Amino acid sequence: MSVLARHLNILDHTLSSLWRRRLKNLSVLLVFAGVIFLIASFQLVTRALTETAEQALVAAPEITIQKMSAGRQVAVPLAYSEKLSGIFGIRRVVPRVWGYYFDEVSGANYTVLGLERDRMPASGQLDLVLDQGESPAPGRSGAALIGRSVQQGLERKGGSLLSLFRPDLSMVSFTVAGVFKEETDILTNDLIVLDIDDARDLFLVPEDVATDLCVYVANQREVPTIAKKIADALPDTRVVTRAQIRKTYQVVFGWRSGFASVCLLTALAAFVIFAWDKASGLSPEERREISILKLLGWETRDILAIRLWEGILVAGLAFVLGCTLAYIHVAFFGASLFRPVMVGWSVISPSLRLAPTVQLSQFLLIFCFSVLPYMAATVIPAWSCASVPAESALGGV
Amino acid sequence: MFLDSWSIALVICGLVVFFMMGFAARSAVRVLLYWDPDSDSGRQIKLENEIWLTSTLVECALGVQILSLTVFVLAADHFSGAIVGAMCATGSLLANDFGVPALTVKIGGVFLYGFWIVLHQLDIRSERYPLVRLKYIYLLTLLPLLVLDLSLGMMYIAGLEPDIITSCCAVVFGEAVGGGTNLFAGFSHFLSLLLLYGSTALLFILGGLLLAWRRIGLVVVFGGVWLWFFLLALVVITTLFSSYVYAMPFHKCPFCILKPEYYYIGFAIYGLLFTGAHLGMSVAVTEPLRQVVGLEEVTERFQRRATLWSLVLLALFTAVSSWHYLRYLLLGGQG
Repeated sequence: MSVLARHLNILDHTLSSLWRRRLKNLSVLLVFAGVIFLIASFQLVTRALTETAEQALVAAPEITIQKMSAGRQVAVPLAYSEKLSGIFGIRRVVPRVWGYYFDEVSGANYTVLGLERDRMPASGQLDLVLDQGESPAPGRSGAALIGRSVQQGLERKGGSLLSLFRPDLSMVSFTVAGVFKEETDILTNDLIVLDIDDARDLFLVPEDVATDLCVYVANQREVPTIAKKIADALPDTRVVTRAQIRKTYQVVFGWRSGFASVCLLTALAAFVIFAWDKASGLSPEERREISILKLLGWETRDILAIRLWEGILVAGLAFVLGCTLAYIHVAFFGASLFRPVMVGWSVISPSLRLAPTVQLSQFLLIFCFSVLPYMAATVIPAWSCASVPAESALGGV
Repeated sequence: MFLDSWSIALVICGLVVFFMMGFAARSAVRVLLYWDPDSDSGRQIKLENEIWLTSTLVECALGVQILSLTVFVLAADHFSGAIVGAMCATGSLLANDFGVPALTVKIGGVFLYGFWIVLHQLDIRSERYPLVRLKYIYLLTLLPLLVLDLSLGMMYIAGLEPDIITSCCAVVFGEAVGGGTNLFAGFSHFLSLLLLYGSTALLFILGGLLLAWRRIGLVVVFGGVWLWFFLLALVVITTLFSSYVYAMPFHKCPFCILKPEYYYIGFAIYGLLFTGAHLGMSVAVTEPLRQVVGLEEVTERFQRRATLWSLVLLALFTAVSSWHYLRYLLLGGQG
């Protein structure tokens, strides 16, 4: 009999034996699928968030300059941008004024961003991400572009004007020129975009400083060199490149998901002990079955093969089930169980739509986390089952 | 960088292999001490049962080891997103002194465990299990390699320094920026192609001769040429074929061909190469077993099959690995 035919027959026997003990096997299957679901959800959320962050960073300036004083970020003088004029390769240096605005009514922090839009390279494309309205002409004061939850807050208050308070509690109002689309929520949900002079007025920031400077570089390959030159020219600043922000995001998300995985390892360990226990506890009927098979001429290795096939089938089914549930959880329910761990828990957290891309490497990772320990836990009990001596059937009859 | 899912996966793989091989080694010690094929005592019967456990454990460990080799390369690729100057797995493997040794030990491990399984398969074909002692001595000698593998992997992960934005002042910029780092440089196109296709032809000739007319010397040469071919193929894939897969003359990387962008062609290329080389080399490795009583026929049958299959895999490997290069030439490119 060929090897294939032998294994097909064994598989046939395994399936019927799995079905006979369906309650025991189903319990293992469900617990295992649950563990895989937890692990896979974390992996898929991490992947989706890293990708979303990468997409968001495409339009970020190549280099951002922040002034540091006593280890804290402070406003950067506009005069600094003149010091950079000698560095070749810099296309443009654009100041930004931004900060957080605490809204007492909703208890939320809005992000207010003041831009000099006529000088920013991609500002013409701002209309593409607007759901309603259009971006005001650059330099026009008194108009704001707002994110969706800012709009919801405004609707609750029942006004059409966005009224904010300066630090001295005097009020300043803006008309709403446009609302950002849902797709850009991760960036724009709590965002208020103003003209830079309006933002200065709101935060009472002096004319000659900005929160940070955005540096646009023509040739991507020159970014590290230019960043180094800037760091030399302006020693009291922190120079952050886009590549570094991306790496930091990856490290942070990787670290968080790694940390979560370590926590899940306890669940995995519990499951491994459970699987070991289930696999090694032989009922008298099972003992008799194995002995009879041996009396009929089956060898230890055939019975071992049955046990291993059982393991493969249970693990395979649980893997498919767990991964499918995890995908549904992440893609359709926004990973609601774990999102606080990954994105934080502020009052307005963006209602993200996560679309995890499915990559083979992700599944390999999940496989290593779940199926390998299961396999290691069941192989020795499988062998001890297989080595039940043939004569032990006689005692039970 | 231990707190990353990929690092944890690598550690889990390492521990699973270690656990299985540890158990196998326990049986190995017992078998070496008490094995007596002429006895029919309870202990002997128990030991005969135990050799099934050991072989299952080593087979599983080999599977995990192959998986962990893949995980290692993919993990290195993943780490490249967080390390200064690394654009892909090459960069992160070179990020500290342990990356390349860890990879080499893992590749070596795959071959050495594979030879154990060949020994085992030959052994169980004979009723008296003549190779039991040899097999278990070999198993015990594999343990130090396993410890080395695990420790190199751990030291590699521990030594990785991720590049994150620190809260202090100006950042430090890495020196290496481009992704053009290359493990092997300075091979001329013509010479490497000549060597590769020359060795392929030589293997076919030797294999054909072996199938028709076998001599001990020929067997050893065949195994030796396979080893040479394996190493040469790794170099040529890196320096030459890979850039045709990427369609970028300056991108020479043995790892990026494993990515989905290139339809995972690397897995096919390396899978064929590793299996072919393993079969080819095991023809030479099993040659001394022909002297063992009870194994003459079994070994010879295995050698014939292994020779034939290694040649089939070699042909497939040549076709798959040269495909992008040939297509480039056919479409009018200049080699």
